[in-house]
Amino acid sequence: MVYRTGIWPSFLFPSPSGVLENLSAGIQDLSIPIAAQISIQRLFIGYSISLVIGLLLGIMIDRIKYLDQALSPLLLGVQTLPSICWLPLAILWFGLGEEAIIFVIAIGSIFSISMAVVSGIKQIPHLYIRAAKTMGAKGLRRYTSVVIPAALPAIISGMKQGWSFAWRALMAGELLTPTSGLGYVLIMGRDLHDMNQVVGIMIVIVIMGVVTDRLLFGRVEHAILYRWGLTRSH
Amino acid sequence: MLEIVNVHKNFKTKNGVTNALQEVNLSVKNGDFVVLVGPSGCGKSTLLNIIAGLEKATSGQVSKSGRPILDAGPDRMVMFQEAALFPWLKVIDNVEYGMKIKGTGKRERREKAIHYLKMVHLTRFASAYPHELSVGMRQRVALARALSMDSDMLLMDEPFAALDSQTKSILHAELQQIWGATKKTIIFVTHNVEEAVLLAERVIVMTANPGRIKKEFRVQLARPRNMEDIDLTRTVGQILGELKEEVEKVAKAELDSDWSLENSSFISRPDTHLGNGI
Repeated sequence: MVYRTGIWPSFLFPSPSGVLENLSAGIQDLSIPIAAQISIQRLFIGYSISLVIGLLLGIMIDRIKYLDQALSPLLLGVQTLPSICWLPLAILWFGLGEEAIIFVIAIGSIFSISMAVVSGIKQIPHLYIRAAKTMGAKGLRRYTSVVIPAALPAIISGMKQGWSFAWRALMAGELLTPTSGLGYVLIMGRDLHDMNQVVGIMIVIVIMGVVTDRLLFGRVEHAILYRWGLTRSH
Repeated sequence: MLEIVNVHKNFKTKNGVTNALQEVNLSVKNGDFVVLVGPSGCGKSTLLNIIAGLEKATSGQVSKSGRPILDAGPDRMVMFQEAALFPWLKVIDNVEYGMKIKGTGKRERREKAIHYLKMVHLTRFASAYPHELSVGMRQRVALARALSMDSDMLLMDEPFAALDSQTKSILHAELQQIWGATKKTIIFVTHNVEEAVLLAERVIVMTANPGRIKKEFRVQLARPRNMEDIDLTRTVGQILGELKEEVEKVAKAELDSDWSLENSSFISRPDTHLGNGI
């Protein structure tokens, strides 16, 4: 409809059929699947790093009071910084390539994951801890068998938020560093004035985002919320 | 044998220091069933928490079988007002949790869990999750979990307060039976005097502000006891008489100062005046 009004010329606002054609061509010559695969690989590596560091950092902050006082305000500050702002530093540290992008992805979600761990553990009903104490659960055992499971719903939603941060950081990183991946294909479309390609890749990105969010995290979160008795529906 | 000698407990609040417990002395023999009653704020739950090792006394000694109580431990199982089941574990895993911590073998654990679930009539729900059960059922699971630890002492902090009266009376009967069968020492906290007399061998009446022990009643009625029993009702009356003053004291502190139990328990209705105001 907007296309038909002719406000923008067709090289600025593509027609739906043109986008579809471009998409199917991209899929057939494997350029889109290959770019998507590269992007997903980066995301996977970056997100795994941030999961490990974020969870450990969160647990450490919770266990060590001194760290909590020292780091929590700092974390909150750093978390408000869009992760792409790390890119200049990352490029200087790691060079213009794979590592810089992965660094930006990881740094984007580490803090939201560790913050979720800290606040999730803080919000555990005290009753669980008291019950565990009277049954003789101490130290690490109490931690792994009660504290972590009790905080899991909050941790999962932090992981989900971290995932969406990581996804955004990935795209921004790819747009700004001339390497490869979906973001790079997108920016190439701009450089070639191929709006069909730009919009096509945008659609691919949206679909991938929705699929992982709904199918992966949505299901895990729902299953956990149900099992924990926090929701009534099936 | 549990010995509580000269226990004080102060809480720091915004308005200064509150005396939650003052000069509490109590000894409980093995196999005894002691119920602490008193108005809200008399420190009965605090005393129970100190026995459990979940809170520390400001001064005084608490010892069990000659050893001072320093920390919470599996020899003193606690049942709270809420079931405190872990929502991520199935009912049977909840019952097994304490035994798992204790290091009981897998097969023995399962057998015992089923045994105690049978005792509280919940074997059908062994693989359900806690949120799928009613409040009363959850409390029964908590009871099974507490019993499965084989502790010689069971501390109960108003465990039936949130239940409806039918479930409550079933659990009262079950608890009396279990006490008879297991010979555990039970210390039970409630504000319900009927419940206290129904269950206890000894009823300890506590006072508020500061929290201290006012009087002790021995209940020597045959078991199983019934709420409708006339002797039971008489004992309840005695204890209520003792408590009335206390309840009034608390109510006065919380309500307006002109409130009194005598005046406020008389309900005045214009249609029953029979014209005496004419």
